[in-house]
Amino acid sequence: MRQANTGTKLLLVTAMSSGLLLVGCGGDDGKDGADGKSADVTAQLAVTTSGFSIPEDAILVAPEATDGDDITEALSVALFDLPDDALVVLPKGRFVVTESIVVNSASGLTLTGYGINETALDFSASNGDDAFRFQGGNGISVRDFGVYEAPKNGIKATNVNGIHMTFTATVWEGDLEASNGAYGLYPLKSQNVLLENNYAFGSADAGIYVGQSENIVVRNNTAKQNVAGIEIENSTMADVYNNIAVGNSGGILVFDLPGLDKAYGGNVRVFNNQAYSNNAENVGAGVVGMVPPGTGALVLATSDVEIYNNRITDNATTAVAITSYLLVDDDLASYPANYGATMGNGWSPTLKNVYLHNNTIARNGANPQGALLQPVIDGYSSNLNSKGAPQTFPAFLYDGIGELLSNAGELAGFNALVGIDAQADGVNYDPYGVGDQVCANSNINGNPAPDYDAVNTGLVYPDDPTDVTLVDGAGNPLPHLLIDQMVNNTYLNCVQPRLAPAVVNFRNNIYGCSGDDLAEAACAL
Amino acid sequence: MKHDKKAIGVALVSSIFIAACGGGGGDSSGTDAAAPPSNVLNFGAGSPTGSEGSCSAVTDGVNWDALMTEVCPRLSDYNLFTNAGDPTAGPTRGGVPYDLSTSLFSDYTSKYRFVFVPEGAAVGYTPSEALDFPVGTVITKTFALPENTAMRDGAELVIETRLLIHRADGWIALPYYWSSESDATLAIAGKRLTGLTTVNNQGQTLSFDYSVPKAADCTSCHSIVPDLAGPDDQREQVFLPIGPKARYLNKDVTYPDGTVYNQLQYWAEGELLSGLPADFNQVEKAAVFNDETNISSISSSELNAKARAYLDINCAHCHRADLTLPPDYAGPAGSSGVQLEYNRNYDDSPGKFGVCKDPVAGGKEGYPYDVIPGNADESYLLFRTETTDSRHKMPELGRSTVHREGVELLRSWINQLPRASCSPDP
Repeated sequence: MRQANTGTKLLLVTAMSSGLLLVGCGGDDGKDGADGKSADVTAQLAVTTSGFSIPEDAILVAPEATDGDDITEALSVALFDLPDDALVVLPKGRFVVTESIVVNSASGLTLTGYGINETALDFSASNGDDAFRFQGGNGISVRDFGVYEAPKNGIKATNVNGIHMTFTATVWEGDLEASNGAYGLYPLKSQNVLLENNYAFGSADAGIYVGQSENIVVRNNTAKQNVAGIEIENSTMADVYNNIAVGNSGGILVFDLPGLDKAYGGNVRVFNNQAYSNNAENVGAGVVGMVPPGTGALVLATSDVEIYNNRITDNATTAVAITSYLLVDDDLASYPANYGATMGNGWSPTLKNVYLHNNTIARNGANPQGALLQPVIDGYSSNLNSKGAPQTFPAFLYDGIGELLSNAGELAGFNALVGIDAQADGVNYDPYGVGDQVCANSNINGNPAPDYDAVNTGLVYPDDPTDVTLVDGAGNPLPHLLIDQMVNNTYLNCVQPRLAPAVVNFRNNIYGCSGDDLAEAACAL
Repeated sequence: MKHDKKAIGVALVSSIFIAACGGGGGDSSGTDAAAPPSNVLNFGAGSPTGSEGSCSAVTDGVNWDALMTEVCPRLSDYNLFTNAGDPTAGPTRGGVPYDLSTSLFSDYTSKYRFVFVPEGAAVGYTPSEALDFPVGTVITKTFALPENTAMRDGAELVIETRLLIHRADGWIALPYYWSSESDATLAIAGKRLTGLTTVNNQGQTLSFDYSVPKAADCTSCHSIVPDLAGPDDQREQVFLPIGPKARYLNKDVTYPDGTVYNQLQYWAEGELLSGLPADFNQVEKAAVFNDETNISSISSSELNAKARAYLDINCAHCHRADLTLPPDYAGPAGSSGVQLEYNRNYDDSPGKFGVCKDPVAGGKEGYPYDVIPGNADESYLLFRTETTDSRHKMPELGRSTVHREGVELLRSWINQLPRASCSPDP
């Protein structure tokens, strides 16, 4: 079943010499010890372009394959029934794969190519769905290759404790189209998730998506031209930093969606990222299809989120939108019927304790879009807002309706739905306390020219019931479309405690701001 | 190695030879008495010896030891069928055929199932989960595409035989592809067959590709996964059979000798099954649905029962969480918002069945919710059963063509569900 190493010397020697050259060039960035295997120069067969050393006893998949070969069978066989701590090496070049590659319960597996550009797997003719799916297992590292045109998800990992993806690419080439697969990198229901140095391009859903997982570090990735660049959904203890989100419909999303097994997330920190020019047309479907094009970052129904020290620029709708789920579904009367079970498990349409600070904001809001926001956009672009004159669309937009209804006691009836565990975790529909507030301060106007000077904070609804002046015939509050400058702001002017850093334990090494990045500048602020 | 006294001299000699080679043909200990016809179904079946097996062992009965330790290149190496070229009938001594009341759709194939339980062991009854098959159990399932689904007794193409083997360290699955008339070969990487055709019950000719799954694919459905409780939770997924649950076995079948018997009672009287409740009314019974079911002529409660059985056997091996599972385990799609198990109470949470639920990992324009009671045609769940686009299709594996009869069942079910907030105005 295993490919023998003999007979492959020529290729390996070639690869080794180029690998050594890379090491000589400083190809090892020094941050990348996540594999837990030290580089033993005497035993190595090759070095990937990222500086990862491939030892002599590695399992080689189709080592003699040449560009364009179909390596499906060799790959399937090599990854079936692996020994613990196996190191499986994909060949160098561009190859065809015609089925989903499924790996079960792998322990300590490293699956590597020769580099993010050196090993490319083309799934455009695949009869399967996901390109790679890792189900169960622990301590799995996936690195140094690209996955192209997956029919569904690129690299999925579900129910894994310890999943590391680095220097991978998940790519759908050409225009962003609705048929461009699903998620790129897709850890789901996993623990100890480390995604770094990856490139996600062209997904009709999220390029980099972490769902229903805990203890997560997402850093140094680039997500380009996806519907959602980076999305953290129903996940807890996540740090998203030093990433670039560019050219997506929405740059960085933090979502809690109803009805999932892990009902809600929280303690998500988004910091030191660049989210710019996320103005792609939204070709997505489902909830992500509702994300307004031109959104730098979006927090939807997730509590305990800190967004700081990011550079969020050139997004045509807004830099950061913070919204309850009521924007997606305002039929409150049907919530018990449609969401009763998940609300019992702690999902809430409201969000609390979202804190934006020290972000640099520039050139957003030039052309606000999105069906979901259309009434809000219409209000701010006309006289129908609190200033009575057209306004530059707010760089920070907060819907405020969940808070308003909570403060008015209108949601108190939902408290009866909340289960004991969720209650103990602080889930309730009481009026917001100080610690529940959405706050924004110390953000920086990065506009270079006077015509961009207006950087605003907008509230669709006031959070204080006594400020409600506009109601419909039934006494329900109407949008007020309050607006305020971002610097020296009145609205949202408060401070929240800092959130704890995420800790990823991968193969008994600690990653993140309290681990290998202890000295990283992004972690200092 | 001992053999029962039925064994003729030649077999005895060859089995001694095998023992010397470290092979094992079986241990029929405790049945030395001159074999009177026994009502024990696996009487004389033999059992694993615990020694390392050999694929080349020549055994009188099932090659138990090879099953327990070896991944053999040919199906015939395990000696599970008296005619090695026919996995649809004639199991080796101890093999018992079984059938399910409603079964997973697999591209209109007919399925031939046998269970082999080692002599001296029995299956434990469980009310809702897969029966408790002892270590040593082997389940074979052969897939054959009939020329005409209305005449399943007629000509057919035998495509593949899948084995589920319960070894001491858990179940494993092995797919064998019938590469020739005489034998099936191991297909770890699966096999794709193009341009198969059949004629369905409506007389329509269907043409499609067929995928024999890869060995690794089996776990995608045949497992329950731990709901990892924290950073130190190292539990692993557990491999399990899906179909042989009491509720699907609880039906009458005609056995090769012509007798008609409830399968569970047949197993219990044959000492193959222990713990069957004395009060048979306690035993769950899934409704029968097959391509002969006339949906237009059944009551709404029958429709609901059949749809729930269909959703359970086709979807709920993945789309399941809690209920009768071990604590903190779920199906592989247990993290999805949609859970479709037989035992889930619809009225408690229609949202778990996708009612008025936004698609999360997926979605398609024109299908705003997974299930819209009264509007099946815009329900994403139904679309996913109607499409063969691998971006959207459900189930993800093992279906290359649309199960038109199943889709019609689900369409009728969705359209008769109690109206919900996302339903069209009456």
